Formats: sequence, C-alpha cells, structure tokens
Amino acid sequence: MGARQFFDRIEPNFEKGGKWEKFFPLYEMVESFLYTPKTVTKAAPHARSFVDMKRIMTYVVLATIPCILIGLWNTGFQANQAIASGLEPTGWRAGIAGIFGYNPANPLANFFHGLMYFLPIYITTLVVGGIWEVLFATIRRHEVNEGFLVTSMLYTLILPATTPLWQVALGISFGVVLGKEVFGGTGKNFLNPALTGRAFLYFAYPASMSGDSVWVPVDGFSGATALAISARDGVQALAGEGISWWGSFFGTIQGCLGETSTFAALLGMAFLLATRIANWRLIVGCLAGTIGFSLLLNIIGSDTNPMFGMPFWWHIVLGGYAFGLAFMVTEPVSASHTNMGRYIYGALIGVMVVMIRVINPAFPEGMMLAILFANIFAPLIDHFVVQANIRRRAKRHV
Amino acid sequence: MPQVKREMLIDPLVDNNPITLQVLGICSALAVTSSLQVSLVMAIAVTFVTAFSNLFISLLRNQIPSSIRIIVQMVIIASLVILVDQVLKAFAYEISKTLSVFVGLIITNCIVMGRAEAFAMKNPPLPSFIDGIGNGMGYGLILLLVGFIRELFGSGSLFGITVLPTVNNGGWYVPNGMLLLPPSAFFVIGLIIWAFRTWKPQQVEKREFTIQTAEAH
Amino acid sequence: MSDMPDAPKGPIARLLAAPPDSVGKTLFIAVALCLFCSMVVSVAAVSLRPVQETNRLLDKQRNILQVAGRYEPGMNIPEAFASFEPRIVDLESGTFTDQFDPASFDDAAAAADPELSIALTDDPAGIGRRANYRTIYLVKDDNGDLDKVILPIQGYGLWSTLYGFIALEENGNDIYGLQFYQHGETPGLGAEVDNPRWIALWSGKKLRGDEGEGSLKITVAKGVPSPDMADFHIDALAGATLTSVGVDNLVRYWMGEDGFAPFLENLRNGGV
Repeated sequence: MGARQFFDRIEPNFEKGGKWEKFFPLYEMVESFLYTPKTVTKAAPHARSFVDMKRIMTYVVLATIPCILIGLWNTGFQANQAIASGLEPTGWRAGIAGIFGYNPANPLANFFHGLMYFLPIYITTLVVGGIWEVLFATIRRHEVNEGFLVTSMLYTLILPATTPLWQVALGISFGVVLGKEVFGGTGKNFLNPALTGRAFLYFAYPASMSGDSVWVPVDGFSGATALAISARDGVQALAGEGISWWGSFFGTIQGCLGETSTFAALLGMAFLLATRIANWRLIVGCLAGTIGFSLLLNIIGSDTNPMFGMPFWWHIVLGGYAFGLAFMVTEPVSASHTNMGRYIYGALIGVMVVMIRVINPAFPEGMMLAILFANIFAPLIDHFVVQANIRRRAKRHV
Repeated sequence: MPQVKREMLIDPLVDNNPITLQVLGICSALAVTSSLQVSLVMAIAVTFVTAFSNLFISLLRNQIPSSIRIIVQMVIIASLVILVDQVLKAFAYEISKTLSVFVGLIITNCIVMGRAEAFAMKNPPLPSFIDGIGNGMGYGLILLLVGFIRELFGSGSLFGITVLPTVNNGGWYVPNGMLLLPPSAFFVIGLIIWAFRTWKPQQVEKREFTIQTAEAH
Repeated sequence: MSDMPDAPKGPIARLLAAPPDSVGKTLFIAVALCLFCSMVVSVAAVSLRPVQETNRLLDKQRNILQVAGRYEPGMNIPEAFASFEPRIVDLESGTFTDQFDPASFDDAAAAADPELSIALTDDPAGIGRRANYRTIYLVKDDNGDLDKVILPIQGYGLWSTLYGFIALEENGNDIYGLQFYQHGETPGLGAEVDNPRWIALWSGKKLRGDEGEGSLKITVAKGVPSPDMADFHIDALAGATLTSVGVDNLVRYWMGEDGFAPFLENLRNGGV
C-alpha cells in the first residue's frame, strides 16, 4: 500500500495550517478518487446507506459505457460510409485513422475512427471543465467531487462529432460555471450542467450544432438527421432515406456522438434502475407524457405539418430521446424530489419534447430544451406537492 | 452641499445602481442592448426622461393630491416619453426604427417611476434633477457594458465598426449567436452583478436561511 | 372670510393655496396637468410630423436605391431617386393602370381592402390577402431608356413576414439584386438574408429559361445544383432552412402567375 502511505505522509501539508492548505480540495480530489472518503455526511438528512456520492457518480459513468461503445462504433461507421461513397478523409485524423482502413464493414476500423473524434472532445472537456472545478473548489473551499466525471461524460456524448474543440471548451465552461457553480456547486444546481453547456452551444453556434453537415465528420458530407427529415416530409419519408425503426433503435443513424442508440441507452437505464439511482417514476411519467401527447396530436392531425402524424414509437427512438430519458431526466439533483412530483416532472418533459418537435418550426429536436424547461419547474412542482400533502393531512385533524 | 450633489451623481453608478442593486429596468436592458449605438441612445433617452420627470414632479410635489399622485406622475412621464419618441423619429429615424416600441416602454421603466415616487416627491427640484441624471447614468452604464459585450462578441463590431471580422464576411471570428438574442442579456447582467458584488461585498444580500450543520452521530 | 387678512384673492390663487387633497384641488390639478401635457405633446407631434414623413419616405427610397445598386452613404437620396418612376401595375392583366396616383397609393392598405385585393386559398408565401395593384419602380438609364424594374415582394419566413424588393434587368428575366428591408428572422441565422455576401448570390441569376420563356425555374435550395440549373439556383442560408424555404416560396410566388408573371410577359414583349 505504497500509495496509501504516501497520501498519509503528505496529508498534513494540506490540512488547516499546513503549507499547502489552499490546495486541500486538489489533494482531496486525488485521494478520494483512489480511496473511500474518510469523511461522513455532516448536514441533514442523515440517511444511512452504503451509497455515497462517489458510488452514485461512478455507477452513472459505468451506465454510459454501452452508449460510449455503440457511439464510437456508429460515429466511425457513419464517417467510413461517407468515405466509402466517395468523399476523401481530411485533417490530422486521416493519417492515424488510416491504420485500420476506412471499411464500414470492419467494426475495428469504425471503432477506431470514432475514437479519433471522441477522445479530443472528451479530453478537452475534462481539462477545461476540470480547471473550473478546481478553481471554484479552491476559492470556495468545497471539495472537487466525482459529479464532474458524469457531467463531462454526458456532455461529450451529446455533442456532434464535428464540434470544434474551442466550442467544446466554451460550452463546458458555461455549463460548469453558470449551470452549477454559481448556484453553489454539485447538489445545488437546479439545471443539468451538461445540458446547460449543450444548450449554450446550440444557441450560440447553431451552425455547428444543427443543420445538415455537422453529424458526419467528413468534409463535404451533408445529410439531415432523421428528425429533420420527418419535420420536412413526414415519418414515411425516412424509409426512402434508408432509416428503419430498428436502425434507429440500435443507433446506426446520424446524430450526436453517443445518443443515437436507444438500445444502449436502455441498457444504461436498466443498470441505473437496478442500482436504484434512477427513479422509475420519472421514466414512467416521461413515457406517459410522450405517448399521450403524441397520440393526441396523431388524432388532431395537420395538413401542413407532417410531424403531427409521427407515432410515439418513432419519437422514442429518434434524436436524443432515449439518452435523455436514461441519463438526464433521471438525474436526481435537478429532478423533482417528491414521488408525486416525479410523475408530473416526467410527464412535463414527455409532453414538451413532442410539443417542441412537432409544433415549433425552428427546432426539430426538443429533448434538451424540454429537460431544461422541466428542471426550472422541478422546485415549483415539489412545492405544490408538499403543500397539497400538508393540506390533506391537516384535514384529518379537524 | 456640492459634495452631497456629487455623491448623488456617483452613487447610482455602482454603489446603488438601479439595475444591478435594485434590479429595476431589466426589460429594456434585455431588449435594446444588442448594439452599442442603440444602447447609448436608449441610455440618453432614459436619463433625459428620469431627470426631467424628477424635476417637474418635484416642482409640483406640494400641489399634487396624494389620491391621484401616481396618475399625475404617469402623465408627466408619458408626456416626456412621447416627446422623446417624436424627436427621435424626426432626427434619428434609423435608431428609432431599431428601438421601435422600447422608447414608448420607457413609460413603464420602473427606474423612472421609482425615482419619482421615492425621491422627487420628497425633495427640492435641483437635487431631484441631479438624482434623475445620476440614476439615468447608472442605468446607462450597465446598458453600455451589456451592449459592449453583446455587440463585440455577438457581431464582432463596436458602434457598427468591425473589430473582429466574422466568418460570414470572410474573416476568422465565429460570432456567438446567443448574444444577439435578448435572453443573453440575462446572463451578461447576472455576471455583471456577480462582478459588482465581488468588488463591493456590502451589496451581497443576507442569506434568508442557512443549512444547518451538525456533527455526525 | 373678511377677517382672514391673508386669504388669497382670485380663484386660481385660492385653489393653489387649498390643501392638496381637497376635491376641488384634485380636479383642478388633474384637468390642468392633462391640458398642459396634451398641448405639449400635440405641439411636438404636429410640428415634427413633416420631418418624420420625410424620414419615412427617404427610408423607403433608400431601400429601393439599395436594391437597384444605386445607393451610397451620404448621397442625396431624393435627387438619385428622381430617375426612378413609380407606376401602379394591375397584376391580373399585367398592365399599368392610371386608376391611382402612384404618389399616394398605399400598397399595404390596398392589400387589406376587400375591394382592391383577393383572399388567397393557395398561399405559399403566407400573406393571406394579395392586393390586385402594386407599386413598382421603373429605373431609366441616362438616355431615358428602361434599365431595370423594381418589384415589391413579401412573404412569411420562419418567424415573420419578410418585406423586400427584387430588381430585374430590362428583359424582365435576369435578376439584378434582392433586398429585404424589414423582417424579424433569427439573428445570425435567418437574419443573414441581409448579408451582402448572400445577396450577391442573386445577381445574374435568371427567373426562367434563357429567353424568359417557359416555367419558373429560380429556386433557393441547399447543395450543388446540376450544371443546367446553375443559373437558377441560389444556395440556401446555412442553418436557416425555414427562412430559406420562405424566401424561395415568396420569390416564386411573386414571380409566378399569381404575381408579376403577366406583367413580366408584357414587359418582354414590349407591351407595357
């Protein structure tokens, strides 16, 4: 246990009065990353459980692994397909990715090509976001915690592979600082920091975040996402573009790095449900909202807007729906905290996604905006649920 | 006395700024700050209206019946605003087109009403006038700061002169489109408030409650 | 009364000295203030109106000059505009009409007037009603020959109705320029319809085949066109699909049979 002894030896330097007192958060971060934290909860509520923050966050990162793997493969697959159809690979990646060739039928080549896009974005996110985390932790004297690992992973997975790295850096800065730290850090953020950063990029640099040329990282490639095609010509047009329901389910369609595969998101969701990190009420509420509202729109129908006719089973496999449902809707901090509130919160997201996708002409995808919207309402929902409960119980004692 | 008057001018700039401390007049600060030129005109218009409405209301303050005082204030403010609007339409047509309804909406700017009710109704004309100018300048200072940030990073220019040549015009700067949308001013104003309160910690509001800490048991 | 030596004389002086909350005083202040303020406001409005009217006119003339490529900052606008001849076109027959005075004809009012407009059932440009008569501008060159025609266009984009002008060469088929003077599209995306680099794409494109015959071919669309369509293709705005579709629709509508096509046909045949 050399490392343990090393930490024990240097620890006094970081404690109060030690010469590196200011850098305690940094020490604590490294130490608690490797070993179980020695500290216990000081603030109420004193729930006793083996699940601590570190374990929760590690579980969430573990749950994203299927999404990462399928995402890496699909990013490479889409790129290699574009290259197979006659486009030239360009940039510094062309030299390295060529090791395994560009054959879209070779999983290893796809995987490796995808990694060439995933890694730079992920590393940028970790470094830039990490600097902000440590900066705030040092000034505000709170601990750097593993929450950031989740944020950075989710943030990376919901970006298009072509996002310029300086935009990646700006987005994660916005997400960490204005989405989380200004409200007091992890556990006090009412918005999902990864989505806040993504939303910032979406509105600040729409040309790099939406449109037809951002989804497949090959120069000159242009192709609309499944949602954009359906918004224009209806869901029937997808077959003509070679997009099948099962293809969307397994994630072989164009989209952000790690959010195309409903299947992978479901695996992650199952893991989070089994470990009780995700609350099933949120998921039930969200699905109910989506199914109910899209059925309603199917019945109403519209001559001019083909999205009205999109059935709910398509809504669920397209865009970031499944990924958002598994990892963002269920995020415990920014969701509602009461059981009744969770159904309402989930349903609000479910309805809003369909509303934005179908009715708003400017945004083909709505999961991100719907979740952020519901984040803002979560405390209000809880407030009314608690008030209703108080009134109900007060009646018993008249 | 000159010392006091100077303070009345300086105080609303940072220490008692109507936007960052009192959080008034946000609506127009969001809407008109996408370019510096428009922000400047708006700042001047609001300063003019605040100063003269304060002056006239202060002159009349002993005659205004309290039962209709708000209406009297509104009539005076509204007349001044219409005057400003008409003058802008006649002599700065381009700018009045971009400001559109927001000149008219100075009537509902809480800073104008707030100073009339809180200061001009109780103080002599000259201090009221100076107070109006001070508060107008405090508002204008924030407007110009927000306008500076939004125009520089949103369109790559200042007062319409290109500073950062944008990609769409053959340059290198990718403009931040969010800064061209009004809600971005929320973030910018929020960051300015953060900066001001870090600089002047006495502006920080008291916590309404603290989370209790206790030893583990 | 007489035993109060300082009692003010005259009705106004008495009112001023009265306690502010008395009924008479309240009424007096309310009426006096309203009278005074309304006078100030009306004097300002009336005396400034001529200047404002001129501004509005100059603004419109400047937009027309801009689309014709004749505008430079600081120029004398009315003087430059003198070579522009406003005429009213009857869209149905495609001929000029002298029924209205071009100086006072109001296109917007005509579009709202049931007598002068038709309600559209097939309405790709999203304008609701279309006026039967529109003001157009004929631009003469130095010899007094027809150089360009400037036609008003409008239609719905993503968030708003775009208002603009399109300038055509004297053959009624080649596009000289296009300019929108009023819209509310997304800044940075749809609002790039104002970008000079995008506007420049329109210059030299054609509405129909070489001789101006045949069907309308001009389109705003994404991607690279086939070589035989290159003259009729304007690349859509990046990231602004719906604004581009809106511009496509509105240009095609106004250049089509419901719009100025009969007039342009007459223009080509020298029949106007």
